[in-house]
Amino acid sequence: MVSRWSFTKISTFFFSLIAAGIMVAMLVLLIVQSIPVWKHEGWGFLTGTKWFMRTHEFGAAPMILGTVLVSFTALLLAGPVGIGAAIFTSEFLPSRLRLTVKIIIELLAGVPAVVYGLLGILFLRNWIYDLLTPFDPLSGDTLLTGAVLLAVMILPTVMTLADDALRSVPSAQRTAARGLGLNPTEVVLHVSLPQSARGLLAALLLGLGRALGEAIAVFLVVGRQDNQWPEKLLSINPLIESGQTITTKLASSETNIAYGDPIHWGAICGLALILMLMVAGITLASASLQFFSRNRHAS
Amino acid sequence: MRRKLVHHLFRGITALCALLACGILAWLVWAIARRGLPAISWHFFTEQIKLVGASGGIFFNIIGTGILLLTALIATLPVAISLALLHGVYLRDGTRKRALETMLYVLNGMPSIVCGIFGFIVFVNYFGWGKSWLSGGLLLAIIMLPTVTVALMERMATLPSKYVEAATGLGMRQSQIIWSVILPQTMSGIITGSLLGLARIAGEIAPIMFTATIFAGASLPKGIKESPVLSLPYHIFILVQDSFDPGVAEKIWGTALVMLGLVFTLSLIALPARLKIHEEAHHG
Repeated sequence: MVSRWSFTKISTFFFSLIAAGIMVAMLVLLIVQSIPVWKHEGWGFLTGTKWFMRTHEFGAAPMILGTVLVSFTALLLAGPVGIGAAIFTSEFLPSRLRLTVKIIIELLAGVPAVVYGLLGILFLRNWIYDLLTPFDPLSGDTLLTGAVLLAVMILPTVMTLADDALRSVPSAQRTAARGLGLNPTEVVLHVSLPQSARGLLAALLLGLGRALGEAIAVFLVVGRQDNQWPEKLLSINPLIESGQTITTKLASSETNIAYGDPIHWGAICGLALILMLMVAGITLASASLQFFSRNRHAS
Repeated sequence: MRRKLVHHLFRGITALCALLACGILAWLVWAIARRGLPAISWHFFTEQIKLVGASGGIFFNIIGTGILLLTALIATLPVAISLALLHGVYLRDGTRKRALETMLYVLNGMPSIVCGIFGFIVFVNYFGWGKSWLSGGLLLAIIMLPTVTVALMERMATLPSKYVEAATGLGMRQSQIIWSVILPQTMSGIITGSLLGLARIAGEIAPIMFTATIFAGASLPKGIKESPVLSLPYHIFILVQDSFDPGVAEKIWGTALVMLGLVFTLSLIALPARLKIHEEAHHG
């Protein structure tokens, strides 16, 4: 079929270029707009622990730490549950029931962030506060609260993708293993899980990416306390205090205030840039893993 | 014997995980429905906000969210269809297809708050629109684009090659084949993808909080510049931050229930077509 430059083809390429242009524009704009803060702070923007807009001190380290803590804790909670649930739906559940569970998970994935935030404010905050009583917390608005809420939010992502990964293992392999006398659990542990390891890792990474970028629900329950740099990094303390993540900072009213001041606005754009690069990196890693796992089964 | 015990234990634990996920949804719906139902009445849908949300209804919030969703859909469709055609028809080279898929992956993972900042720079300040329904709609379009495109791409991949071959045999040109064979045959993919995309953006706040929506004092937009709209999710977002008035609480739950209903309806309509594609893809 010879492809001529018809009107259809031209408009297709035109609209596709718009999509590509938007992505490039996002990256370029954030880099360009954040230049003042890099000039002002240098690498201190990444390593500084003080953020005071009145005195033009912009150190993003506490927020980067907050983002990392919240997201990894969420993954720690949601990962095992999500993969466990996926093992159950793909390996042990009759197919008719499987559909029902899949529909429920679809719906769970669709619940808007603000609804999670609402439930977080009215219930989760108080539960976490009661749970932490031995540690004498100041309030229920902690990084941990944000992490638990995020865990629920990324559970459907992890579960759906892990289910797909497990299902992509050819059933002939399972049958062969059963024929060797393994029971279903042993088949899962020795055949399905190792075979789908890459896909499962991709699922976890995508869940992590979602957690890093979620703003609204965390915003409502994290306490939004600036300049929280823990004295001891490797302890539970930072998790059970109020804090600030990159996304909650970006969603705060400071974004509106900052625009007139190049350095302050640069700091906001710098935060957005850091977040964007983190998430894009994780997404790319996940995509390449999924691609390789698909290729292996195809061969 | 020990092996059997381990098997039952393992199956039990994984079952608990799945139950937990389902239980969360059940609890969530019950918690919201129980508190939200008393707020739902005819007036709730047809009146404006009064007394900072303590009374009145959410009429213009529903209208505003509707405007945003419709704008996003209209803006997304041509781009999504183009990208899917590019992937399914025009790009023959595997590497280029992969590059396009990767681009969609990255865009799909893009944090929506980053889109919000991007929109704040471009629409609010460069274009000088201020807060406007149009910038909100365009930003939401960016967020729903990957969802719509991927659904359409999957549908195109399942289109039997016989159709295209037969059309080619009839001497049709490529553009004719696209308009009269490929697009009509993949219409279900366009519809499914659109519904899923809309479900995804219906509850988004991050992209529109600085660019398109305010809490009160907006009705129907009259132009583009400085014409914000109200919206459902933002209504909850603002009220929930500083309200212990029981009257307000009831309205919050009512609004949450309306949103949940909207999103679930969109997802459920899209479901049958999706499951079919998915099963076909696995056993095709």
